[in-house]
Amino acid sequence: MMEHQEYQELLALHALDALDALERLALDEHLATCSQCQLELIELRDAAGLLAHATTPAAPGDEVRARILNQARAEAQSGQPAAETSAPVVAFRPRAAASRWPDLMRMAAALAFVALLLGLFVFWRRDVQSRRQVVRLTEVINEQSDQSLHDFEELARLREALELLNSPSMKKMELAGTQTAKTARATFVYDRESGRAMLMTEGLPMAPPDMAYEVWFIPKGHSPMPGKMFTVDASGHAMMADHVPPEARENVVIAITLEPKRGSASPTGAIYLSSPAS
Amino acid sequence: MQAKPSEISDNDLLRAISRGDERALAAIYDRYRLILFGLILRILHDRQEAEDVLQEAFLQVWRRAADFDESRGRAFTWLVTIARSRAVDRLRALGSRAKLAEEVGHSPREEAGDAAEDALKSEQGTIVRQALAELPEEQRRTLFLAYFEGLTQTEIAARLGDPLGTVKTRMRSGLMKLRELLSNQSRGL
Repeated sequence: MMEHQEYQELLALHALDALDALERLALDEHLATCSQCQLELIELRDAAGLLAHATTPAAPGDEVRARILNQARAEAQSGQPAAETSAPVVAFRPRAAASRWPDLMRMAAALAFVALLLGLFVFWRRDVQSRRQVVRLTEVINEQSDQSLHDFEELARLREALELLNSPSMKKMELAGTQTAKTARATFVYDRESGRAMLMTEGLPMAPPDMAYEVWFIPKGHSPMPGKMFTVDASGHAMMADHVPPEARENVVIAITLEPKRGSASPTGAIYLSSPAS
Repeated sequence: MQAKPSEISDNDLLRAISRGDERALAAIYDRYRLILFGLILRILHDRQEAEDVLQEAFLQVWRRAADFDESRGRAFTWLVTIARSRAVDRLRALGSRAKLAEEVGHSPREEAGDAAEDALKSEQGTIVRQALAELPEEQRRTLFLAYFEGLTQTEIAARLGDPLGTVKTRMRSGLMKLRELLSNQSRGL
């Protein structure tokens, strides 16, 4: 367990928003119970905020003011935020219908969230090997908490991912980008018993409108078996649950191709990601 | 609001905004648009994207003003944090697009110049610039990479090729000194 002084040393990095996700999680846990650190963080955040004065002030176009005030007025009249014109699409963070949730559901979601955080933390200490997935999940969770945590389905999916990562029969495969997508990477984890699987990608280009990525399971000596289709957000991230058929749980190569959106029975497009041959 | 907008404190403006007062939103926009737009532009290096993000940031202020708690920091910090977070989120989203564009041979945004140089050319924020000028170059650079490029400690260490421990120490010392140097002067900022 870290000591107070070690947490205190992380405060400046927290104020600069520069901590890695897991340290941030640990520090937030400490902050919840340490008023001395809370006060120091406030001061450090104020100091960090002053860095904004190091930039050259610049005038936005005159029409920006009118756009802001018009939209604010429209939202005040309709009672809810208008659609944001240019918010980036984040494939794994659906937000629809959140404001209609009854309070009880919100409370349950908050409790599930806390349970999930604890699970994450325990898991992190137990298995540093899978640190990268946890970091990714933690980031997703932090984003969720920033938005007052709306979506039950999303929580269920995160919890499923954690259970999977904790499973004793878990197998993890790293997929590397091919010549078509050199910077892309993905992690595919699945439970050899149940076949439950989770795919996390990064650095994939966004698919054209009528196309989507398709997962393929290629067991040794068999033809490719189709998995699910998915798209990625503007950062090339996707997180998706899938199911590995029983015959593809050993000696399997996982590949991802770009296919027409309706899906293909066998791969037709370029391979973007592939696991090493087993 | 009866008083002139310029006489109303930031905290009072945010309280008025939380009650749905559009004039208070206009007043806080007029008060901080230059510095916040300068900050966002510094992060994104693209006017159109920066205007878009400025709009998002002020709409977030409109929707979330009730969340502001003056016992937990200055209103200015709250506004700057919203603007910076929005800009850094956009930078990350654009970053993956920029990488794609580089692969096909062109880049949609120019590389940032020497961050320290840019800051020192600015005509305002004299106190902050003086404080920053007193920091060793590597501390200033590390602070700027975190603040204006949204990099984490690990990303900064990789970018500079320095050990993570060194990066952590520099950031901590840099911000501590900034806090110290500004502690008696920040009220005027």
